[in-house]
Amino acid sequence: MSKRKYLVLARHQPAGSQGRPSPEQMQQMFAAYKTWMEKFKDDILDMGDKLKSDGRLVSASGVADGPFVEAKEVVGGYMIVSAESYDRAVEVVRACPAVDAPGALLEIREMAGAKM
Amino acid sequence: MEHYFRREYGRLVAVLVRRAGLSHLEAVEDAVQGALLSALTAWLADGIPHDPSAWLYRVAHNHLLGVLRKDQRHQRILGGGAGDQGAVDGEDPLPAAFAGEVRDELLRMLFVCCDENIPHESRLVLALKTLCGFNIGEIAFRLFTTEATIYKRLARAREWLRQGEVDTQTPSLETLRSRLSGVHAVIYLLFNEGYLSTRAEHAIRAELCDEAIRLGTLLATHPVGAAPPTFALLALMHLHAARLASRQDAAGGLLLLEEQDRSLWDAEHLHQGATWLARAAQGDVFTRFHAEAGIAAEHCFAPSFADTRWNEIAELHAVLERIDPSPIHTLNRSVAVAEARGPQAGLAVLDGVVPPAWLDGHYLWDAVLADLHHRAGHATTAERHRDRALAAAPSTAVRQLLHRRLTKPTR
Repeated sequence: MSKRKYLVLARHQPAGSQGRPSPEQMQQMFAAYKTWMEKFKDDILDMGDKLKSDGRLVSASGVADGPFVEAKEVVGGYMIVSAESYDRAVEVVRACPAVDAPGALLEIREMAGAKM
Repeated sequence: MEHYFRREYGRLVAVLVRRAGLSHLEAVEDAVQGALLSALTAWLADGIPHDPSAWLYRVAHNHLLGVLRKDQRHQRILGGGAGDQGAVDGEDPLPAAFAGEVRDELLRMLFVCCDENIPHESRLVLALKTLCGFNIGEIAFRLFTTEATIYKRLARAREWLRQGEVDTQTPSLETLRSRLSGVHAVIYLLFNEGYLSTRAEHAIRAELCDEAIRLGTLLATHPVGAAPPTFALLALMHLHAARLASRQDAAGGLLLLEEQDRSLWDAEHLHQGATWLARAAQGDVFTRFHAEAGIAAEHCFAPSFADTRWNEIAELHAVLERIDPSPIHTLNRSVAVAEARGPQAGLAVLDGVVPPAWLDGHYLWDAVLADLHHRAGHATTAERHRDRALAAAPSTAVRQLLHRRLTKPTR
């Protein structure tokens, strides 16, 4: 069965996170991600990146500075997974440690054109 | 890799604070925190670099430059001075002798944490935060207090450091020497928080003991720190740590010394303890750490509870009483004397001792009296003390232990 690509957007509440992780917690997160990546190494196409909090909004009327203050959640990072179906993509993303972060919300969108 | 992030945090803070100056401690801590977060993302995406410590140093250094430049701009806007960037400026190559330097900077930070201008209760918190890499929540959890309390203690320490009166150069040997007993006190306190606590699970307590031993070992490599009291402190900590795992049964209940499985005692800690004790004996000082290490060694190297040299232990407690007069040592001596020469002799040690308020209400005082009176056949007095001891027990585990000990038939 051919696989499709899915874009995963990690959203979180801006500045709402309760404190930053401690070094020990970071180490645990690192280990958890490593385990997850190993388990789903055939499904994770691109680990993506984190996104910085500032940005620009471009429209015909001009360019404005982000961040996008009206948004309840901001996109904090992205990655790309490949899967046969939404169900499988959800299975991969559900197991991702990012889901456990307080206030985290991961959005999965199938990419329209790219069949592999 | 165990505790790698936490260890690296302590190393980076110590090295960078030396360059930026102690008044920028908070900026340094923010920069190191940021670098570790960057590592989390970058290392997952690209793999761990071949020299992760150098990678972290470079990133933390750049973060710090950014933070300090921003601070400087703010100060100019507010009409302040040019700002003190310390030695952090421009391209800073990775320090050449990184490993050796890190050790020196960690030691320097340890002495800074024990600055006599920092309140006593703030010193341990500052050490746990900067040297051990725990955050405020983790420190509060380990010291059984609130985050607000920890935050206040940390703020008092930082207030002093921010004044910038602490020199960025290494303090003179004379200053360090005068501060050495303060450093010992912090390490001893850290160890006891882990060792004596009956409230936390084993892993958490062992972690604090390990940190104390790590700092003590580091201190022993310092020209001022390499002295018999440091060696005695290390001996004491290793000998106690050897028995840490055997103090609890499988269900987390506390075990009496005579109930402990001596085969569970950690051979490596015992060996280290004996080695440090031998080094501690080379010198003409005899500190409370020497006496306490000696007592611990008697217990550790006795073939069995029955074959323990109780007379030697009683004598060491007597020495401890002279060095550091406290009724708690007298109480401990009465236990050793009772084992050596019977309960009447033990009670005689306590004859005429009036416990101060803090000890009078403490379960240990009543537990020992209950035990000695019970064994001496004074049923009514024993019962009175037993009831008081059980009522004052600080935790369920301690209460269960007291109950088992104080209700068993006389030997």
